[in-house]
Amino acid sequence: MTGTGHRMIGIAIAVGLAWGLAADAPPARAQGAPPIRVGFSSAMTGPSAITGEGVKWAAQMLADEYNAKGGIMGRKIELYWGDNAGTPGEAVSAVRKLVDVDKVDVIVGQTHSGACLGALPVVKELQVPMVIEACSHPKIRELIGKNGNEWAFRVNPDDVMLANQFAKFMAQSTKTVSIFAQNDDFGRGAATAYDAAFKKVGIKLVSTEFFDRGQADYRPVLTRVKRANPEAVLLVMLASEGSVFMRQFREVGLTQKLYARGSMATVEFLYQVKDSPNIADGLVEATYWTPALDPAWEKQWLERWKVPVRIHGSLAAIAFRYAVAPAIEQAIKKTGKADRKAIRDALEEVDVHNTPVGRIKFDDTHQAFINMLLVEISGGQLKVLEKIPIQP
Amino acid sequence: MRAVRWGLGSGVLVAVPWIVAAALPGQQRYVLHVLIFTALYGALALSYDLVVGHVGSLSLAHPAFFGLGAYAAALLATEGRWPFAAALPAGIAVAALVALAVGVPMFRLTEHSFAMGTLGFAIVTQVVATNWVDFTHGPLCVTGIPKPQVGALRIATLPAFYWMGLAALALVALLYRGLTTFRLGRAFHAVRDNETLAAAAAIDPLRYRMLAFVIGGAVAGGVGALYVSYVGVLCPGELTVGLSINLLVMIFLGGVGSLRGVLVGAAAFTALPEVLRMAPTWRMVIYGLLLLVIVIRLPDGLEGVIRRGTSLGRRAPGAR
Amino acid sequence: MSDLVEQLVHGLTLGSLYAMVATGLALMFGVVRLINFAHGEFYMLGGYAFWYAYAELGLPYPVAGLAAAAAMAGFGLAYERGVIRAILTRTWHVQLIATLATSITMTNLAILVFGTQPKEVPTRLSAAILDVGGVRLAWQRLLVLVAAVAIFAGLEWFVAHAKLGKAMRAMSQNREACAVVGVDVQQVALATFGISAGLAGAAAALVSPLFNIFPDVGALLTLKAFAAVIVGGFGYVRGAIAAAFLIGIAESLAAGYVSYAYKDAIAFVVMVAVLLVRPQGLFGRRIGI
Repeated sequence: MTGTGHRMIGIAIAVGLAWGLAADAPPARAQGAPPIRVGFSSAMTGPSAITGEGVKWAAQMLADEYNAKGGIMGRKIELYWGDNAGTPGEAVSAVRKLVDVDKVDVIVGQTHSGACLGALPVVKELQVPMVIEACSHPKIRELIGKNGNEWAFRVNPDDVMLANQFAKFMAQSTKTVSIFAQNDDFGRGAATAYDAAFKKVGIKLVSTEFFDRGQADYRPVLTRVKRANPEAVLLVMLASEGSVFMRQFREVGLTQKLYARGSMATVEFLYQVKDSPNIADGLVEATYWTPALDPAWEKQWLERWKVPVRIHGSLAAIAFRYAVAPAIEQAIKKTGKADRKAIRDALEEVDVHNTPVGRIKFDDTHQAFINMLLVEISGGQLKVLEKIPIQP
Repeated sequence: MRAVRWGLGSGVLVAVPWIVAAALPGQQRYVLHVLIFTALYGALALSYDLVVGHVGSLSLAHPAFFGLGAYAAALLATEGRWPFAAALPAGIAVAALVALAVGVPMFRLTEHSFAMGTLGFAIVTQVVATNWVDFTHGPLCVTGIPKPQVGALRIATLPAFYWMGLAALALVALLYRGLTTFRLGRAFHAVRDNETLAAAAAIDPLRYRMLAFVIGGAVAGGVGALYVSYVGVLCPGELTVGLSINLLVMIFLGGVGSLRGVLVGAAAFTALPEVLRMAPTWRMVIYGLLLLVIVIRLPDGLEGVIRRGTSLGRRAPGAR
Repeated sequence: MSDLVEQLVHGLTLGSLYAMVATGLALMFGVVRLINFAHGEFYMLGGYAFWYAYAELGLPYPVAGLAAAAAMAGFGLAYERGVIRAILTRTWHVQLIATLATSITMTNLAILVFGTQPKEVPTRLSAAILDVGGVRLAWQRLLVLVAAVAIFAGLEWFVAHAKLGKAMRAMSQNREACAVVGVDVQQVALATFGISAGLAGAAAALVSPLFNIFPDVGALLTLKAFAAVIVGGFGYVRGAIAAAFLIGIAESLAAGYVSYAYKDAIAFVVMVAVLLVRPQGLFGRRIGI
């Protein structure tokens, strides 16, 4: 009997603990007008949790900032989280939870293409607007806007849109390239796009290698690159992997010219290699966001989170600030309310010039065309080489 | 009496979409979605328990069979334009055939080596799914998987998927019941509990292990095919080793080798994260701790609690 | 030729890492017949302990490394008292779930406490390059190898000569007899967990300067080390060490000459093949550690 008693106490403690934490924070009700409920969805658990962490931090900064000003048109912002773990199945759950349980008015997110692809049919079914901030799968553009999903919008360009310009830039000084890309939708999509773009500008692709994220040892593949001996290497990788990669790149003694897609020419990367800041000097990255575009945001981020500003959070912030927030404002002005349909309609009208990333206006495929940037690491600092508008 | 209870229970389960809509207006779609996942996970967990709980072989290959069925069905439905009625059996058949081919060498291994060997197979399957891009699309995922259509019956709404999941779960539960009771079930348990003794009693351990392994694999393939028809997208990240861990947690949380236990475990596993609504990372921490406490304090899983709770002390069907 | 030498060098670094983690697993299995699925997470935690001592407190490298190993040894003792003791006499499936639950908890706690951004702990040795006829490697790689060999030699001596070590060996051969002749079985089990976890901490302090520390660094590591323990012959420490080096080298050669993306698959295919040819492991079914 005492055995059972102990067991019961154990369960009671565990359940109590769980409930205690569960009940932890029901979002505080705003006074007056009902709040706008915004869902941010990204990978918050699993191997890609680093992206979700950045998105969450950015969202908290935004909510505090807007709410300090009294919200948007007097309506406070209330945040809700969806965890897609980077997979389509979990993204379906995340979207359904955000929409049906949390009753969000608009969703920003998914970050990972697999999750985006899973979420797309669900936002259409549930009729909730979703602004994609970072999914780079080229197929997404074929699915949204007039192509069949009027509820999804994408702010970020994909590599099919960047590759031609970037390849042209590379061709000025390079004849042979090896691609080294992370083995996911982003890396695979980019590798395909650059393969095609290289052919157009006469660059010879010597080899393509894929690596799984969280890999410890890149040396075997670096030895292969050494053997293939290209003039340049195109890295498709994030800062979290890039630092270890660059150390081993130098350890092997490679001196190839470096190009990158991902988050290599970023403060995240430079922070990780702060002991040897010149390790990636000369690397040129094609991107669409860098802290120099918005120094105030960077400063605020650093003060609040004590770590360098992250690209994924910043992209979510851009999507919110220059697409979602103006759409909400317009929806309220026009229809007096900010429901899902009104926000969706307003998103189609959004046209914000001179944002840090360029103009944000969605075309009929619900794709925005922001600027492409070429950022170079030089003397351990980031230098914006060129700002190139992307053509629709 | 029993028949009445069964009838009533089934009636309630079938009527769930209406009950949920009445009880939780506005949230019913989300609840149904969770229930669909619960039903599919329940069926998958039962198929896994056939191998782990009833013949006592700790296989870690289950995600591979789930994935094989899912990929076969998804690719046949999209690239091959096969109808659902053909793609589903094809998914089951592919998983069963591979289970047969893999099982023969694997069962030459004993306990821990068997676990490792099957784990190796699962990892190889995932690596191939990720890297054989021309065939599986790799990390770019198989997209646009059509909703099931069988004759005039089109499964496209949430209630329809719920009934599909429920029907699948009921079928698998019947199969599980049939396989684990009667003579066959006793043979399974003899193999699990004492291989030497079983062999002495003219029960060929290998034959029964293979039977459970292949049927378990086939069912997992079928669940995979249903899963992709519901989600509509299939990425290689769905068949990680993590799925084995989830399944292990479900069956041990609920109670190994017991139909009711495994179902309770699967339901608790899928529902718990929804009940514990908090920051996802905290959720995983609480979840790990809860699991630790349960497994240390409640060795028979939740099934043990239920059985102690019912003062009748009847032995649950399928229990050891 | 220098190409092959390079790949072998990588294989040795990886092998040392796998071997130090696998040794802990094999010791635990040998002495108490339990597989600790949270062992990769011990390595992860050891990495963070090292990062804290070295990068945050600014301790010199050797001190920080020893501190990490000591901290993990302490953690191992606490783990044995808090979790393992409750499940030692239970069935394998309870042990499996309990250690898996520990692993899930540790990984996600690490995300909460340390964040997801990888921690970098470069040392002077990891930045200094040794160049032997075109084969370039960081001095840290040599340190990893030398330290690993020293640790294994120390462990050999310990098991053969120290009182506690002899008790561990005896327990791995016959637990009941040990209890009968008055060996404090619980104390020996406790010490085994301290040593095993300490090894994981030492491995982390040695290898982290080359690779990164991040919350789920342990997941694949547990699997690879577990593979080494099985291929080496269950619970046979020398076998596990040899198998770990074989796996590391096989992985490097596969990555260098066949396919980087398929290297994990190749490593596991080799493992399954070995198991099929020799189901008892490469080095036979020896009794004892």
